[in-house]
Amino acid sequence: MKQFRKIFRFEFLNLLTKKVFIGVTLLLILAIVGVTFYPRIASLFESDEQTQGGGAMPILLVVSPTEEDMPLVRETFSGAFPGYHICVQTERPEEAQMETILTDGLTEGIFVLEDWTSYTYYVGNKGMYDTRAEIADEVLRTLYRVRAMTDGGLSAEEAQTILSTQVTHKTVTLWKDQLQNYFYTYIMVFALYMAILLYGQIVATNVASEKSSRAMELLVTSADPVSMMFGKVLASCLAGLSQLAAVFGAALICFRVNASYWGDNPIIGMFFDIPAWLLGYMLVFFVLGFLFFAFLYGAVGSTVSKMEDVNTAVMPITMLFIVAFVVVISALGSGVVDGTIMRICSFLPFTSPMAMFARIAMSMVPVWEIALSLAILAVSVVGVGVLSAKIYRVGVLLYGTRPKMRELIKAIRNA
Amino acid sequence: MELTFQKICKSFGEKRVLQDVNFTAESGKAFGLLGRNGAGKTTSIRILMNVFPADSGEVLLDGKPIRRDVGTFGYLPEERGLYPKKIILDQLTYFAELKGMRRKDAVKAIDYWLERLGMTEHRNKRLDTLSKGNQQKIQLITALTHDPQIIILDEPFSGLDPVNAMLLKDVVKEEIARGKIVLFSSHQMNYIEEFCDSIAILNGGKVVLSGGLHEIKRSYPRDRLVVRSEQREAIENAFGDRCVPTEDGTLLLTMDSPADKPAVMRRLAEEFDVDGVGVFEPSLNDIFVSYAGEQV
Repeated sequence: MKQFRKIFRFEFLNLLTKKVFIGVTLLLILAIVGVTFYPRIASLFESDEQTQGGGAMPILLVVSPTEEDMPLVRETFSGAFPGYHICVQTERPEEAQMETILTDGLTEGIFVLEDWTSYTYYVGNKGMYDTRAEIADEVLRTLYRVRAMTDGGLSAEEAQTILSTQVTHKTVTLWKDQLQNYFYTYIMVFALYMAILLYGQIVATNVASEKSSRAMELLVTSADPVSMMFGKVLASCLAGLSQLAAVFGAALICFRVNASYWGDNPIIGMFFDIPAWLLGYMLVFFVLGFLFFAFLYGAVGSTVSKMEDVNTAVMPITMLFIVAFVVVISALGSGVVDGTIMRICSFLPFTSPMAMFARIAMSMVPVWEIALSLAILAVSVVGVGVLSAKIYRVGVLLYGTRPKMRELIKAIRNA
Repeated sequence: MELTFQKICKSFGEKRVLQDVNFTAESGKAFGLLGRNGAGKTTSIRILMNVFPADSGEVLLDGKPIRRDVGTFGYLPEERGLYPKKIILDQLTYFAELKGMRRKDAVKAIDYWLERLGMTEHRNKRLDTLSKGNQQKIQLITALTHDPQIIILDEPFSGLDPVNAMLLKDVVKEEIARGKIVLFSSHQMNYIEEFCDSIAILNGGKVVLSGGLHEIKRSYPRDRLVVRSEQREAIENAFGDRCVPTEDGTLLLTMDSPADKPAVMRRLAEEFDVDGVGVFEPSLNDIFVSYAGEQV
C-alpha cells in the first residue's frame, strides 16, 4: 500500500507536469472561453453597426399580381417576416435585372406571385436553413382560405378567427425527456471517449517507454507489479478527471459570466442542467470504464520493446473501442437506446461504460440491470488489472519482436 | 550471513534454463557468478529477487527461506536504464522510497553517494544530459542508497573508464568490508579475479564449478613451473620438450611430479641466470575457458 502511494504520487505528478498535458488543458479552456465569450464580443460590434448604419433591416421584394392586392400582400408578408422590410410592387423585373438586384444586395430574396396559389422565389445563395419559401407557402395558403371564406359569406374577422384557432397542450414526462437529455448524454459519452483514447495512449506509451529505457528492469525488482500497474493507471485516471473537471469547470464559470448574452439558448441551458444523480452515474461509469481500458492499454504497452511499436500494438483495443463508441452514438442519435444491441452492449465491459450510461440517461432502466452491469464492469476491472500487472511483470522478459498471444500466455503461466 | 541456492530448477516452456543450481555466497566476501551468454546468470538473479519463482528448489539466507523485504536487495542490472527525462535527484528519491526509505533519509543518503562518486554537481540535472559512464554511476546509486544486505552487480565495470572503474572498485571493497553479500556477474575475468573469493561457473543452466577461487586454483596439478629468464634458449636446450615458451615471454616447464620442484628449482638457480621461478597457477580466464568453453 505504501509503495502504491509512492508510485501513484510519482506518476500523477509526472503527468501533471507534462508539457502535453498542460498544453492540451490550456487549449481546451481557451477554446471554451472563446466560444462562451463570443456573443458578448459579437454584441460589441453589433451595437457599433447599429449606431452607424441606423439598423437597416434586410429587404424582401414581393411582386403582387394586382395593384389592389398590394396593401393586403404587404400586411400579410410583413406579419410573417417580422425581421424584414417588405417592398411590394406590381412590375415584374426581368431575370437579368433580378440577378443585379440580388448581387447589389438591394434585397435578400424576391417573391414573384403569379396568383394566390403559385409563386416563384428568387434567391442568390439559398441558405441551408432558409425557410422563407415555407413561410410564404403558409402566408399564401392563409390568404387563399380567407378569401375563399369571405367569398362564402363570412366576414374577414370571422374567417381570421377560425383560421387562427389555437390548440393548447401539456406534456407530462414520467420518465426521461430524451431530447433534453440528448445533448449532455452526447457530450458526456464523447468526453469519456476522448479521455479513454487520450489517456489509454498515455498509459501505453508510459509503460513502453519504461521498458525501452530499461527502467522496467529496476522497477520490477523494486516494487510489486500490482502496485505498479494500479498506481500508474489510477494516477492517469485522476489526471484525466482533473483535466475534465478543469475544462467543464471553466465552461460553467464562463457560461455563468456570459449567461445574459446567451439568453435562453435551450441547448446550453439543458447542458448545464444535468441532474446530480446522473453526474454520479457519469462519474462511476467514467472511472470504471477508464480503468478497464487503461489497464488494457498498459498491458499492451508492456509487450512492446520499442516506442514506435506502441501505436500498432494498441490498434486492436482502439478499434474495438471506436466500434463501441459508434454503436452507442448511433443508438443515441436514433433515440432507440433500449434495442437488443444496446441491451447486450450495456453488459459487456468493453461497451457498458458508454452504453449503460446512455441508457440510464435516455431511458428508464430497471435497477437490477444497472447493478448487474456495474458488477460485471467492476469485476472485469479488477480482473484486467491483475492480468495487466502479470503481463507487466513478464514484460521485462519479452524483449525483441513483439510476442504473439500464445507466447504471452505461456510466459505468464511460467512466471 | 550466508546466501544459498539450493537445487534451483527453472524452465521456460520446453527450455530448461536452470538445472539443480547450488552455490553459496557469504557476507564479507565477494561472490562471482560466471557463465557465457545464456548460461542462466540473469535468470538466477531474477529468481533471487523474486521477479518470478523457481520451479523447484529454495533460496536460503542463513539456512532459512529468504524473506524478500523491499530493502533486502540492491541491484545494478546489466541493461542499465532509469528515466532519461527526469531530474536525477527526483528519480533517485523515487527509487529509494520504493525501497521503503523515508523521503528525508533518502535525500541524505543520495547526497552522500553523489558526493562519494563525485556526482554532486549533476544532482539537479536531467539524466540524459550525462555521459554514459556518469549515468552508470547514477544507476549504481539506486543499488546502494537504501543500504541493502545483498548487493547484486551485473557487469558493473562495462562502460567505465579506468578512473571510474577504480572508484567503483573502492566502493565495492568498502561494501564488502561492511559485511555485505556482494554478488558479481561479469565476463571480465580480471575484475572477478581481483575481487571474488568464491565463484560459481554456470554452463547450460548447470553449475559446472563452484567454490573458493584460491582452492580451485590450488586444486589444479602443481607440476608446472613458470620461469623468467634472459637465457630462454639455453634453458629450452637443457630441458628439451619439457620446456615451452609462452606468449608473455616466460617459459613453462613441466616436471615429472610436484615432488621434483626443489631439485628443478635448484638446478635452474645454479646453472642459469634466472629472474624468477614459481609454480604455475591457472588464471581465472583459463579456468573459465576450460569449464565454460564448450556449451553443455
